[in-house]
Amino acid sequence: MFWQALILGIIGIIVILDSRFFGRLNVEQPLIASTLVGLALGDVTKGLMVGATLELISLGLVNVGAAAPPDMAMGSIIASAFSILSGASPETALTIAIPIAVLGQLLGIVIRMGMSSFNVMAEKFIDEGKFKKATNLHIIWGMVLYALGYFIPIFVAIYFGTNLVKQVVNVIPTWLTNGLTVASAVLPAYGFALLLSTMMTKKMAPFFFIGFLITAYGGISVTGIAFFAVLAAIILDQINNNGKEQKQDDDSLDSL
Amino acid sequence: MDTEIKSDKKKLNKKYWQFFWRSWAIQGSWNYERQMNLGFLYGIAPTLDRIYKDPKDIDKKKEAYKRHLSFYNCTPQTSAFVLGLSSSMEEQYAKDPDNFDPESISAVKSSLMGPLSGIGDSFFQGTIKVLAFGLGINFARQGNILGPVLALLISFIPAYLVTWYGAKWGYTAGNQFLSKLNSEGAMDRVMYIAGIVGLIVIGSMVASMITLTTPIHMGGTFKLQSTLDDILPKLIPVIMTMFMYWLIEKKVKTGWILAICIVGGILASVLGILKA
Repeated sequence: MFWQALILGIIGIIVILDSRFFGRLNVEQPLIASTLVGLALGDVTKGLMVGATLELISLGLVNVGAAAPPDMAMGSIIASAFSILSGASPETALTIAIPIAVLGQLLGIVIRMGMSSFNVMAEKFIDEGKFKKATNLHIIWGMVLYALGYFIPIFVAIYFGTNLVKQVVNVIPTWLTNGLTVASAVLPAYGFALLLSTMMTKKMAPFFFIGFLITAYGGISVTGIAFFAVLAAIILDQINNNGKEQKQDDDSLDSL
Repeated sequence: MDTEIKSDKKKLNKKYWQFFWRSWAIQGSWNYERQMNLGFLYGIAPTLDRIYKDPKDIDKKKEAYKRHLSFYNCTPQTSAFVLGLSSSMEEQYAKDPDNFDPESISAVKSSLMGPLSGIGDSFFQGTIKVLAFGLGINFARQGNILGPVLALLISFIPAYLVTWYGAKWGYTAGNQFLSKLNSEGAMDRVMYIAGIVGLIVIGSMVASMITLTTPIHMGGTFKLQSTLDDILPKLIPVIMTMFMYWLIEKKVKTGWILAICIVGGILASVLGILKA
């Protein structure tokens, strides 16, 4: 278990470094993190399944500005590891992931509060002419703090928690398993609603329902819809702008 | 002559790459007080070090360093543009300190971060993420490793392009570029297209990825779900999404909504109202 915990801790570091130091290229998303866990523990299929389940919720948790959403990266690493090591279903993994993600969120808040002290230190270093030390606060100490803030909880959870989770998973009654399955199907609705709350305005709402209705009645896959959507958006943009240009022409005629 | 131009180009490219990598690393010491300020300082530090190489300029250097310790927050990808523009302004200021007000550098920074993070976040975290993972989940659920690979690729390519050209254009033509974009309404058009694509794909995902159905039936003849399927298939998923949307609009806290989902889901399953 030591080696597994170690590798998973390192995956945690990779994931958080992506989010903080490599442009947030979405390696921190559950689908990627869980697949990495699956690769490391030798069960890619399970990793993909857990990742896809968790991703549906995570998709809506937008990481913007001062808001700290539940830490799905940490949640998905620990939950998919538990799922693979203890044989729990992806749905159960989901319900393990959420409390972990909330704990991870608290830890993230503490780290970000602690980093406020960097400001005072940076000012002091600059006054003393130690410019390198001021920028090192960011690139070295920031990195170290985040890496440890991920490695330690993941390592501890896997190393000490796996057996406990195994025992708990074995005694979960059927009604609860079924209930968790329904819960795991309700949660994506929340994820999508979160996305809508940032993107949907009254004027734009029909587009959401167009996408919904085409798939609901026609059964076309998301991939197919995506291609149609891009083309439709381009056409609408052209119509919009043609209209504007024509209007400008009309105006200039009127003034003549 | 030729070699001079070449080495100039090399120097420029080196600068662009510095803006590129350092804007990607801008969130590394995110803090509640001034957010990405230290990240921005780290990004502009090489420029300042180049300008104020001379030990006798140390006071000016301190001043410049402190100037960039102020509050900053912007999407990492679009930050490259701000870094490039601020760097070129710092260079102008150093060349002509009498006619250039350093306050304007801070002013440009703060006026850019609002719109650029608005556009950046909704483009990368909204549309691109939805597209990448909408397709990714679709494949992953069939056990296909192509899912996460595709998701990463779709995430990477636009991020790379926006950061690279942001750095380049910000440094070389920052101000003109921005006013041109605004006057032609190009920003609004990109946002409009991105919004449409995002919303249509989300709608499709609601219909294909929420597997909720109802097991309610009367005897062997009436099954509620098949009646629903005749009227509007996937009615339950869309109603559930709208309900969640309503909760969010009512400002119900995340923790409560998650609890409602889990407890409500278990209850609905036990009572035989919902099935997944």
